[in-house]
Amino acid sequence: MSMEDYDFLFKIVLIGNAGVGKTCLVRRFTQGLFPPGQGATIGVDFMIKTVEINGEKVKVSERLSDVLICGFTGKELQIWDTAGQERFRSITQSYYRSANALILTYDITCEESFRCLPEWLREIEQYASNKVITVLVGNKIDLAERREVSQQRAEEFSEAQDMYYLETSAKESDNVEKLFLDLACRLISEARQNTLVNSVSSPLPGEGKSISYLTCCNFN
Amino acid sequence: MADLNSPQKLLRVPPPPEGVGGGRCSEISTELIRSLTELQELEAVYERLCGEEKVVERELDALLEQQNTIESKMITLHRMGPNLQLIEGDAKQLAGMITFTCNLAENVSSKVRQLDLAKNRLYQAIQRADDILDLKFCMDGVQTALRNEDYEQAAAHIHRYLCLDKSVIELSRQGKEGSMIDANLKLLQEAEQRLKAIVTEKFTIATKEGDLPQVERFFKIFPLLGLHEEGLSKFSEYLCKQVANKSEENLLLVLGTDMSDRRAAIIFADTFTLLFEGIARIVETHQPIVETYYGPGRLYTLIKYLQVECDRQVEKVVDKFIKQRNYHQQFRHVQNNLRNSATEKIEPRELDPILTEVTLMNARSELYLSFLRKRISSDFEVGDSMASEEVKQEHQKCLDKLLNNCLLSCTMQELIGLYITMEEYFMRETVNKAVALDTYEKGQLTSSMVDDVFYIVKKCIGRALSSSSIDCLCAMINLATTELESDFRDVLCNKLRMGFPATTLQDIQRGVTSAVNIMHSSLQQGKFDTKGFESTDEAKLSFLVTLNNVEICSENISTLKKTLESDCTKLFNQGIGGEQAQAKFDSCLSDLAAVSNKFRDLLQEGLTELNNTAIKPQVQPWINTFLSVSHNIEEEEFNDYEANDPWVQQFILNLEQQMAEFKASLSPVIYDNLTSLMTSFVAVELERVVLKSTFNRLGGLQFDKELRSLIAYLTTVTTWTIRDKFARLSQMATILNLERVTEILDYWGANSGPLTWRLTPAEVRQVLALRIDFRNEDIKRLRL
Repeated sequence: MSMEDYDFLFKIVLIGNAGVGKTCLVRRFTQGLFPPGQGATIGVDFMIKTVEINGEKVKVSERLSDVLICGFTGKELQIWDTAGQERFRSITQSYYRSANALILTYDITCEESFRCLPEWLREIEQYASNKVITVLVGNKIDLAERREVSQQRAEEFSEAQDMYYLETSAKESDNVEKLFLDLACRLISEARQNTLVNSVSSPLPGEGKSISYLTCCNFN
Repeated sequence: MADLNSPQKLLRVPPPPEGVGGGRCSEISTELIRSLTELQELEAVYERLCGEEKVVERELDALLEQQNTIESKMITLHRMGPNLQLIEGDAKQLAGMITFTCNLAENVSSKVRQLDLAKNRLYQAIQRADDILDLKFCMDGVQTALRNEDYEQAAAHIHRYLCLDKSVIELSRQGKEGSMIDANLKLLQEAEQRLKAIVTEKFTIATKEGDLPQVERFFKIFPLLGLHEEGLSKFSEYLCKQVANKSEENLLLVLGTDMSDRRAAIIFADTFTLLFEGIARIVETHQPIVETYYGPGRLYTLIKYLQVECDRQVEKVVDKFIKQRNYHQQFRHVQNNLRNSATEKIEPRELDPILTEVTLMNARSELYLSFLRKRISSDFEVGDSMASEEVKQEHQKCLDKLLNNCLLSCTMQELIGLYITMEEYFMRETVNKAVALDTYEKGQLTSSMVDDVFYIVKKCIGRALSSSSIDCLCAMINLATTELESDFRDVLCNKLRMGFPATTLQDIQRGVTSAVNIMHSSLQQGKFDTKGFESTDEAKLSFLVTLNNVEICSENISTLKKTLESDCTKLFNQGIGGEQAQAKFDSCLSDLAAVSNKFRDLLQEGLTELNNTAIKPQVQPWINTFLSVSHNIEEEEFNDYEANDPWVQQFILNLEQQMAEFKASLSPVIYDNLTSLMTSFVAVELERVVLKSTFNRLGGLQFDKELRSLIAYLTTVTTWTIRDKFARLSQMATILNLERVTEILDYWGANSGPLTWRLTPAEVRQVLALRIDFRNEDIKRLRL
């Protein structure tokens, strides 16, 4: 993997209880598949997808900065799919810090997976970078008749936590593309904003650059 | 009214060559003409009709021209008539012949087909007779064999009977000898049941007595009786018992091991080795029998049974391990320490042996699982060579499920999960200790903590690698990245933030130099006050050592990355970790490598700081003294300058003294960087003071001499060429050295030759104006 292959590289990590459909979401997005009877993930799965963001969306982020010239065509998403099981927690936690975005997933037909969200948020608080973008995803909307968590409840929760919320179905491919591509757009616009902020606060002569760097979002 | 109908009539009748024909061809109908009353319109229509008439005439002429050709073609066609009749006759004859031949062939082949059918029937009849004879033979054979306790023979007969076509037997029963065959069949079925009972019983007895030859003997008989599953399950029961016995013995040995034993620290890993090697040996020994007598693709079943016993034994060993090594208590203690620093800290060194042991245990189980995977998949491959893709996938899924979901896998994943947290603690605490115990020895460029920290990080990642688990390795790489990037980098960062202390003398000088520097120096002072160094020298040294440390860190990270890469190729070649392992590892490693750049950035910041506080404020006054040396001189002064150098020698001496301090205590790379910064500064500042001075011809010559000495000196202290940095100054010296204003034209524009001017025309004029002996008008008149 050479660094020249893409303009941006973002790491997205999926987390959430076991069996809420994290692997299926990733499979659907990266390979267009919905493998029935998907086994539990061991440790972490790792997938890469290069996506093209169309001109219009790039324009939106262009507005953020006149300095930046948009030589942007595509970018690479690295998607880390983590195991939901407790015994892999220490492995999955080690990926939080370098993540640009976290997709916190629960199963709308499983009250328990929703009730665990605060616990996951605590983990994010503890291990992830403070710049991380977190998206809450309610998966399995194809099983609407078995729904246990109402959309309203989830929306209220995500609003209180200041998270973007989306309901998806990996099986029917509902909102899956939207989830990842919207996230990519947001990541791009934040990255551009950051570059802008960095270039504005370039060091004054004699002052030396403020020595502590932003740890995330350094795209060389 | 008849006229009204005429156009339709004319449509059907071919048009006569002239007259009414116009009514058909023309778009203008007769009615239209009649309805016209205006002369003008009539004339217009007339004109159009005339035009149309001309067109028609032209067409007619063309058609008439073709008449000849058509006639000659007709003649040729007439001549061909008789030939065609002849051909038709021939064709009819040929068709007749073909039909005849066809019929003949049909007749012949139908006879052959009948013969074929007869032959097949005959074969079937013979086969059936054979089968019936076989049946009888089997019946007799079974009886004798059973009487002689020749179970192999009996089983072979039963096997033969089971292989017979059931429909044949059914047909035979309907024949004349039905009753006899019935009786035979009944006897055979009884014999089959009896044999099954006997074999099962004898097998059980043999198993109990541990009589391997007998066990194997009966094991081979099961598949002949169609009892593959049962045979494998019974046989593995026997094997499992062996595994259990051996394992229990081993565990007892472990519990009795003396703590002083050489391998006491990794005794549980050794127990794993013994257990897994034992099972591997069993698989190795019995795979040929299974393959020969049960066919390929059956090894999975055998191992599935064996794995149950393996799991049971693993559970026992791990239980003992957890108890004896206080694994869970240690983990909880570490967890408390990580969460809450107030509690009494566990000594990281105490964790060392247990961490090593648990990674070894995992390595053993990974090796064992990959052994099973290889054996089973190659066995499936042979068995499924003709099977459909679906069956193959189904088998692959079964295999994955067996290996991923077995208790061994789960237990080890759990242990490794806890291990990672403890290893992280070990790394963090030991790094903290190394930082706390940091010492600097005179004559060294770096202090002890850099080597120590990288030794620790390498050790921890290396240990994770030795677990053979890619996820565990990647997690440790991630944690090491975090540790280096934030915690350890912060340590170095904070040291650099204390700044390079300025001396009092410098402060005064700086205060005089410029207001910006006053502000800056007071900032420096602020920093200076807060730190706890005994003396300025110590603070200076600390800063320089930290710079060296930062550089070495950046290098060490790159080295670490390379080492890990080569270490891991071995692991990947073994095929451990699945298809994504390499990609996962590469991604984590590139994050680690990126930290190297962050240290490099930090180094640049440090250098800028050093340049700003230590170099610039010192160098600037030295350069400023240039202003106090007149370059508007006579022959006599010029000669005097020759003997008593007014500026440059002292300046060079000062630079040399200043840089010597840094050369001794900075690594060559950093020193190079620093000199580069210094030379750039000298070039810029010297240009500034030159532009503030005035020169005459001899003064220009003097400056040229001074610049040459300076460049000559700076060339000796830098490794790369500095000519480029001094290009503008050299060109200024050239200008200041001119005899007269117009001489510049010998060097300018088309005459510049290899020289690339770095000065703009305006700047050239500005420099020329520094010569007091040049007239302003002359300079203005110049065309540049």
